[in-house]
Amino acid sequence: MKKHLAIFAAAIVCLVDLSSCGTTSLAPPPVTAELARAGTHQHVDLATLREGRVLFVSRCIECHTLPAVSQHGATEWPRLIDEMAGRANLKSTERDAVLAYILVAHSQSR
Amino acid sequence: MVSAFGGARHFTYLYEAPTSAPGSIELENWVTWRRINDPEYTDQIDFRHELEFGVTDKFQVSVYLADWFYENDREHSGFAYSDSAVELIYNLTNPVDDPIGLSIYGEIKAGDRLVELESKLIAQKNLGPLIFAYNATIEAVWEEKELESREGEFSQAVGASYEISPRISAGIELLHEFVFPKWRDEEKIRNLFVGPNVSYRSGNWFVTVTALAQATDTDDEPDLQVRTIFGIGL
Repeated sequence: MKKHLAIFAAAIVCLVDLSSCGTTSLAPPPVTAELARAGTHQHVDLATLREGRVLFVSRCIECHTLPAVSQHGATEWPRLIDEMAGRANLKSTERDAVLAYILVAHSQSR
Repeated sequence: MVSAFGGARHFTYLYEAPTSAPGSIELENWVTWRRINDPEYTDQIDFRHELEFGVTDKFQVSVYLADWFYENDREHSGFAYSDSAVELIYNLTNPVDDPIGLSIYGEIKAGDRLVELESKLIAQKNLGPLIFAYNATIEAVWEEKELESREGEFSQAVGASYEISPRISAGIELLHEFVFPKWRDEEKIRNLFVGPNVSYRSGNWFVTVTALAQATDTDDEPDLQVRTIFGIGL
């Protein structure tokens, strides 16, 4: 039985350890001042960027892990978001915010 | 227009921290086959039909319309209704942005000579294409005539799932149970189950399958069990 508990303890330690490192690099880019400036150039305000990111990291993970914003091209993202917006129950303004955040973050990822 | 969807499961013996999108409704059908070899050969298939409602961004409610089962052993075979239940899940933190995503879970179940209360802490971390999950569960069961038989159980489960493609994930689940008949620990009942899982999602539906083998040697517990959850957005 001690062996079984040891396996569990090791699994929990790994989980905690993994959560403490590398998280930021794997999470979508935060809405920084630099991203906000890029948003301004693309006529996207700060509130929309923030809302888009919150929705991206909360609604999309209900079905799948999050792809890097650089994983798809700027012309691919609108189709992908449209395909999944219904499943995630996104209103049209929420869909627009998610897309706006992704496209601004994508433009900064190159 | 695709109907709103409560979310795809990557595990079947673990819950995940994210809750369903507000306004979404999903029907989940569970089928769990259990094979017990000791002390005598028994096959049991459990069925569950569950409706899941996303209430807010952080809160979901599920109703188990019916849990029922088919049992086949040397003496008899047949179907029987077991119970119905209500389940509430509240999300506290996000598994992508926060160090650990956490949710709390409460369930009340009532059925044919059965009342059960269950609480759960759900932890999850997403790292790129990997999902790690941990559940700690405590439950109290009253059953049989006049609910005179009491039992407690603490269980913990860990799982990891890797997203091979946007539609397919595969991983492993491990379930560790501590059973307390009459809420005592005199019998020292400990069960450990481990096995692989695979999940496929497309459009507004998903299917996830887990096969668990018993790593301990406890009588009356399944030597092998396979659970399938099929979910579809309504």
